[in-house]
Amino acid sequence: MSVNDISGPLDYPTEEIALSVNGEEVTAEVEPRHKLSDFLRDARGLRGVRVGCEHGVCGACTVLMDGRAVKSCLTYAVQADGADIETVEGLADDGALHPIQESFHEEHALQCGFCTSGFVMATKELLDSEPDPDRDDIEDGLADNICRCTGYQNIYDAVLRAADRMDGEADDEGAADDEEATGDGATETEADR
Amino acid sequence: MSSRPDSDADGSTSADARGSERATSEKFTGSGLNRVEDRRILTGEAEYIHDKAPESALHMALYRSVHAHAEIESIDTSAAEDHPGCHLVLTAEDIKADYNPMPAGLTGFEEWSLADGKVRYVGEPVAVVVADDRYVAEDAVDLVDVSYDTLDPVVDPRGAREDETLVHEDFGTNVGDHEELTFGDPDGAFADADHVVEGSYSWGRISGVPLETAGVVADYDDDSDSFDIDCNIQLHTLVDDTVYDTLGYDPDDVNLDVPPDVGGSFGTKIAIHRYCCLAAMASKELNRPVAFVEDRIENLQGGDMHSTEREYDVKLAVDDDGTIRGLDFWFVDDFGAWPRYPVNQVLKPLSVLTNAYDVQDARYEYDLVLTNKTCQTAYRGFGVPAHLYALEMIVDEAAEEIGMDPDALRRRNLIESDQMPYELPSKNIYDSGDFPAALAHVQEKIEDERDGGLLDPEVVEAKRAEGKYRGARPTVHIEPGVSGSDWTDRQRSNRERLADRDRDDVAELPEHLRAEIRPDGTVRAFLATDSSGQGHQTLVTQLLADELGVLSSDIDVRYLDSVEAPTEYGTAASRMAVMVSGAAKGLGEALTENLETLAAEVWDCPDRDVVYRDGAVERAGGERLSLAALAERDRERPDDDRLTRASYDYQHPATDLEEFDDALARKLPVYPTAAFAANAPIVEVDAKTGEVEILKFYSLRDCGTQLNPTIVEGQAHGGLAQGIGAALLEEFGYADDGQPQAITMFDYRLPSIENIPEMELDHTETPSPFTPTGAKGTGEGGMIDGPASLACSINAALEPLDVQADQIPFTPNRVRERIREREDE
Ligand code: FES
Ligand code: FES
Repeated sequence: MSVNDISGPLDYPTEEIALSVNGEEVTAEVEPRHKLSDFLRDARGLRGVRVGCEHGVCGACTVLMDGRAVKSCLTYAVQADGADIETVEGLADDGALHPIQESFHEEHALQCGFCTSGFVMATKELLDSEPDPDRDDIEDGLADNICRCTGYQNIYDAVLRAADRMDGEADDEGAADDEEATGDGATETEADR
Repeated sequence: MSSRPDSDADGSTSADARGSERATSEKFTGSGLNRVEDRRILTGEAEYIHDKAPESALHMALYRSVHAHAEIESIDTSAAEDHPGCHLVLTAEDIKADYNPMPAGLTGFEEWSLADGKVRYVGEPVAVVVADDRYVAEDAVDLVDVSYDTLDPVVDPRGAREDETLVHEDFGTNVGDHEELTFGDPDGAFADADHVVEGSYSWGRISGVPLETAGVVADYDDDSDSFDIDCNIQLHTLVDDTVYDTLGYDPDDVNLDVPPDVGGSFGTKIAIHRYCCLAAMASKELNRPVAFVEDRIENLQGGDMHSTEREYDVKLAVDDDGTIRGLDFWFVDDFGAWPRYPVNQVLKPLSVLTNAYDVQDARYEYDLVLTNKTCQTAYRGFGVPAHLYALEMIVDEAAEEIGMDPDALRRRNLIESDQMPYELPSKNIYDSGDFPAALAHVQEKIEDERDGGLLDPEVVEAKRAEGKYRGARPTVHIEPGVSGSDWTDRQRSNRERLADRDRDDVAELPEHLRAEIRPDGTVRAFLATDSSGQGHQTLVTQLLADELGVLSSDIDVRYLDSVEAPTEYGTAASRMAVMVSGAAKGLGEALTENLETLAAEVWDCPDRDVVYRDGAVERAGGERLSLAALAERDRERPDDDRLTRASYDYQHPATDLEEFDDALARKLPVYPTAAFAANAPIVEVDAKTGEVEILKFYSLRDCGTQLNPTIVEGQAHGGLAQGIGAALLEEFGYADDGQPQAITMFDYRLPSIENIPEMELDHTETPSPFTPTGAKGTGEGGMIDGPASLACSINAALEPLDVQADQIPFTPNRVRERIREREDE
């Protein structure tokens, strides 16, 4: 055994990146080998980015990069230079859950919750591109995410419910100006608390 | 889900008005109250173990063996130590003087936390490296240089019994444990029966593989010479001895604290003590917090988290009329290199020895072998899934042998509802249930499918012409629930002396729950167990809100660490619904009694003049003392004599039931609730590709009274998904040289949304006569009944090809292989 007392900062090369994270402009020095998942979690404190495998299978680390779902464990932080990153922390609006989050709650689409951030972000990508998904769309859109607890049925139902709700909100917004998002979502959350 | 009595919509309840707002007498328990755990998870705020490392923490990585079996000739750590970011390197030599070997599941297998002189599986930890961050720690691990002298590996479980090569020379054999148990007169039954049917079946090495791996943050405190250890170990109040014994400290000086959110366990995290110990030792050496999160490859190849791998030889004695006369099970279970605590996975099947069949004569024998594979831990079902699979396979075989319809054979032997409660030959007792009715229910679904549905004869015929074989075979399965006595250490006991024990010698593990009234009149409750997604905070919220007649939003549920909590069992063995509901009932009574005493004291009247009702104590004349007011009055009392606090230890449903005395005294597995399921998955097997597709999964499920139907349904879905993975996809294969073949999630194939069929689940509720609420344990169900029922449906589909699902998982390769073997014959 030996206790080493050299603990000063190591001289690893770094690069500067500039990106947007949940709408905030950020610049940072990162080592080229740092994964985006570690950067978001450790440097940005976005702990909702979960890490389940670090080899691109489980999808727990899924975030949106310029609107596309990416596995942040397979992406280096330097690759996100100039990108627009969204994580689960950016979804709720001033404490009000996003319709996707609401729907996961109401359909009991989470148990341990370790997969949840990834599923919610993958669902966001799916519904942004296909607001009215059928069973195949949902299977395709979520096939890259693993959940070990729920057996997926409730996740499937949650996606459908979210699609309905977002559709309703879009209609509301179009029709009446700012009655926005008072729909069932907001009320039920109150009652659940 | 909207049947909540919760009317707290405006959120403005004042402390004094609390309780009185419970508009109706409707109950939270039994409703699908949405989970209180969800919000923090959905927003990303929940803190799992990988979020726990403080800024000041150093990070640990492990050098692990690359060989399955080898002598360690030398370990050179100098280059790693010279790495500028490295703070500490430890090997077995460094820890032996100050610490103890880790306790084991079998006496004689105590083991150092780092490989000592020899490695026994790929991935076995050999050295600890602690560095500034994980990246640097892994750089330094790469600099550790170990030279080995390789040995022949022991890989085949049946072959291991020959003892040609020994995994543990000192022990002298690879058979770590063996027992033969006889119930009734199996020899007589087998001699008398018209037929004896034999079969061999294997169950591949699988495990829970939760999405979150193991993790720990250990912090040694110099001043108090004690450890604070955050970790996601399962059963932290029961297995904490694996940590404090290894460290050589008193239980009070080793505090295990499990975060409220754990990313799944399914039994697997019971045996992660090695990581806790190593991080603690490193923290003590460095006087800094040390953090470690297992990466996925470590977890899959050497994380001590594989589970059941069995080879069965089964016999069944049956008469011409289909009456099953006797059963005979022999199996070998491959525990890997070291026998860990869950060795009693080989015994739990005794609690459902004959599954749903009325058979009184049986033999049960196992060899628990040690091989050069990573160690076994617990997995949902705890050894039962493989047993039910082997049993249902031999029943199918018997039907074929005597030329009887398998449905008729099963129906003939089912335990009838008027035989309940039913005592098994192995002495466990099924509490209630109508198994024939459950079977009939799913049989009807299948009949309907035969009439214009998925199994319509014309469709089946047309599919067969394309090489696709469809089938479904209904089966009934029992899920034993609620363990809680000392049978779990049977294999560390002197088994010859067990006959001399009587009921008073039995040690039981109760469930502890405590609560206190807060100054604002809300109730804070404390669970003494850890959770990993089961929604226990929600469950306790529902139960206590009902016991105390307050709103669910007035209850806040927290967790106790291992020092605060008494030693108890915890979350395992499908026990929490029953145990927590028993504890909540007792706690509610204790607390209301206290509050009445307090109010009587305040009013200076006899206790009998006051009564607790819906969040307040009342007396004649309409005077009320709210919970907040009572809390305020209570602060005038001495701290150690407060009446707004109470705790309760619920024993166990079997504690007061004489019927279980014999089984308890003899250390036979006692599980006093029998949840059950009748399943009928419809499968389609593609004979060309070997792929098995599940077209639809019918299941009728009964776990007694449902405390939260939403959670019950969620457990069923999740369990069945794991059952599907076990039956068709998942396996930790090993090559002949002992190299693990599934070390990534590409190789260990977990079910994705694409593998899950349409599920049609129905529920009945047959209350348990043995439990306070009528609830039965149901945390393991789908994983217990899924694989066997799928195998039976596959047998039905492949009947025309004369192929049996004799090996699980029944992967496309195996299916094709079996079909070709038959064609060649
Ligand atoms: S952690 Fe990125 S895919 Fe698993
Ligand atoms: S909820 Fe546990 S992995 Fe999905």
